[in-house]
Amino acid sequence: MRELVARYLSHSISRRGFVNGLTKAGLTATAAQSVLGAVTSVSLAQGAGTTTTPYTPQGNATAPVPYLPHDADAPARAPSAIAGVKPFQGTGGAAFAEQLIACGVKYVFGNSASEDAQFYEALVDRPQLKYVLTPHEGPGAAMAAGYIKASGEPAVVMQAGVVGMVNAMGQIFNAWKEQTPLVVYSYRTDQSRRAGRDGFEEVANQEQLAQPITKYTWLARRPDMIPETVRRAFKAAWTPPFGPAYISWHSDYNDDRVRTDIIAQQQFDPRMRVRPNPDEVTSAAKLLVEARMPLLIVGDEIYKAKAAGMAVKLAELLGMPVTQVRQLYANFPETHPLWVGNTPAANLASLTFPKNPDVVINVGNKFQHNGAAPIVPRGPKFIDMRIDFASMGNVMLTEVPLVADVALGLDDLYGAVEQLMTPALKAKAHERAAEVRKFAEQARTLRALVVNNPEWDNSPLIADRVTYEIAKFSDPDAIIVHEAGSVAMHSFDFDPRGGRELFFYYGSHLGSGVGTAAGVKLARPNQQVICLVGDGSFIFGPTALWNMARLELPVIVVVYNNHAYSGPHSRVVANVPSGRMVQTGQFVHDYLGNPDMNMADIARGFGVNGEVVETPAQLREALARARAHTVDGKPYLLDVQVARRGVGWAEKPWVPPIRLAEIRQKRV
Amino acid sequence: MKFLLLAAGLMWGGLVLAAPVLAQDAGPQHPGRAVVLSKCFQCHTDAMFRDQRQDRRAWEATIYRMVGRGALWTPEEIKVMADYLGAEYGTAAKPAASPR
Repeated sequence: MRELVARYLSHSISRRGFVNGLTKAGLTATAAQSVLGAVTSVSLAQGAGTTTTPYTPQGNATAPVPYLPHDADAPARAPSAIAGVKPFQGTGGAAFAEQLIACGVKYVFGNSASEDAQFYEALVDRPQLKYVLTPHEGPGAAMAAGYIKASGEPAVVMQAGVVGMVNAMGQIFNAWKEQTPLVVYSYRTDQSRRAGRDGFEEVANQEQLAQPITKYTWLARRPDMIPETVRRAFKAAWTPPFGPAYISWHSDYNDDRVRTDIIAQQQFDPRMRVRPNPDEVTSAAKLLVEARMPLLIVGDEIYKAKAAGMAVKLAELLGMPVTQVRQLYANFPETHPLWVGNTPAANLASLTFPKNPDVVINVGNKFQHNGAAPIVPRGPKFIDMRIDFASMGNVMLTEVPLVADVALGLDDLYGAVEQLMTPALKAKAHERAAEVRKFAEQARTLRALVVNNPEWDNSPLIADRVTYEIAKFSDPDAIIVHEAGSVAMHSFDFDPRGGRELFFYYGSHLGSGVGTAAGVKLARPNQQVICLVGDGSFIFGPTALWNMARLELPVIVVVYNNHAYSGPHSRVVANVPSGRMVQTGQFVHDYLGNPDMNMADIARGFGVNGEVVETPAQLREALARARAHTVDGKPYLLDVQVARRGVGWAEKPWVPPIRLAEIRQKRV
Repeated sequence: MKFLLLAAGLMWGGLVLAAPVLAQDAGPQHPGRAVVLSKCFQCHTDAMFRDQRQDRRAWEATIYRMVGRGALWTPEEIKVMADYLGAEYGTAAKPAASPR
């Protein structure tokens, strides 16, 4: 019967042929006519744009314009006979909600907008689609991104026209750099019949604002195309390599009545999982087994593909050392004997070991080049395995490209290497593994020396002491959301295979940390979530604290508060060494004190308890109180006073002399 | 003179590099100087050393901060570097000349 329906809908058989087919299949004539009626309504909906009433302006200029004549007495449309396709009739806003549900969306992260009224109306009877009101679009989008990254499930961000959209754009940028499948919608404030007249909040071509930082940008051209537009966005965002998508439509489309189809995710998802070219796999395997000292660089595609276990297997098979350059996640277990540590200065030369690998294989790392020198220098043979083919070969010479889902790629490569492993090669790998293990053990001993810092017990605390105490405090499977750019992560021993996980940042639009942590906790309610954030970053996006309080998201937020932008300070000194700023101590751009901000007071304003911490002993006690709060389902914030360190910092930094009191003449 | 960028990455690329100007007029060279040259300039320019004036304890703390960032140095290496930097770049050392 399904085939008959499909043939009828595709016009390959007539109505009579369809009914005859149904009766031959055993249906009575009455039942066959009933099915015909139902299927015909689907057919009409499918061709709505071309076979039904065309869009024509009518009525007064401000009334909603029905796309199809609104007939409240019209019989409800019959259910579709096609699996995954649901005929829909209602407002554009309700069609939007229905399609989100069909895409698998559970949470909408939004900020209020009157033009989305019909969407809100639709949510009343659709409790499976939950709306999280976020009081600022930036942290709201960060919360959505955190939820997506931690759950692997879709979500949507929505906000008011241009005014809300531009607030969210910082986090769209982060999603773009981090390749997070964030779908963002905002209506066009103008209505379709008065667009182009510089109206309220109107900007021409608003979608172009998002275009350079999204994978896909699209407008619904008619109200019945809202679901199709939503589907396109989710398909683009969630087809690897992932990335954000932006969609928009005239606000009156949300109010219009539409007939359209809601289509389930599995009916349009290309489910792209690519295996690498077998010839290239053979080449890569040959290079690896013949290498004197191969080196594996791991990256975020491993975490996203849940392939850390496969990366470990490949490294062990070859006795191959493993490192990582800057990424979001920790993609390899840091206690593994083949782990030689993160690459300290974003090029392989800064590794203590190995000093001269002859074959380098990258699995899933996009490589953020912040300098002229390539991260993988000219010299070693370079194998690049990633699904993000567009960035392959742009900077580094690539001997063997392996375009693949890295889980499948690692699987294939492991098989190919295993086939080539002779007893002699196995002995060589074993010997190399012993050499790497010896280094790794020594490195662990040397890293532990961080506690020997003569300022270890200082107050205000040094940042390393704070990090150390939190590492010792955190659960074995804690998730660390890290947006403290000048703070080094050590002592956590991250392990993506079920141990502690890291959610760092890559895009550096500040203000993501607190929102991300809230979203991560929403996605992973049974894991401890600790947000580490610098005071500079924190103050860009504290509003997600209110979401933590309202939704009872028990996150521990730790602010490393040195009342300064440490990173910009150090980089400015490096850019103008021995300059006037250093000589005079007059830095206009970096000191956030005088008056000092009290982040615990700010947290209380959002309904989150917290405290200021000034000594190492206080920190331990405060962490215990934080745990008690989270066990009870409440978030908690620690404002830890941290020392400023680096060139040119004074005890009381200079503040630019802008003093209104000296020029004002009226005490008003 | 303004920038003496010394990264081992460039050495790996086969480029010929100038040696950093680092307390060259200190007479017989302190054993810590060679260690600083070999350990610090993988990531830093000499601006850090030209502009920073602090006592030995503070230099030692600075070095340990680098340990937190992944630097792998033995206690002996850390000691000799702190000795050198405290002696040559202590609070009494004259400030660096402006490059401009």
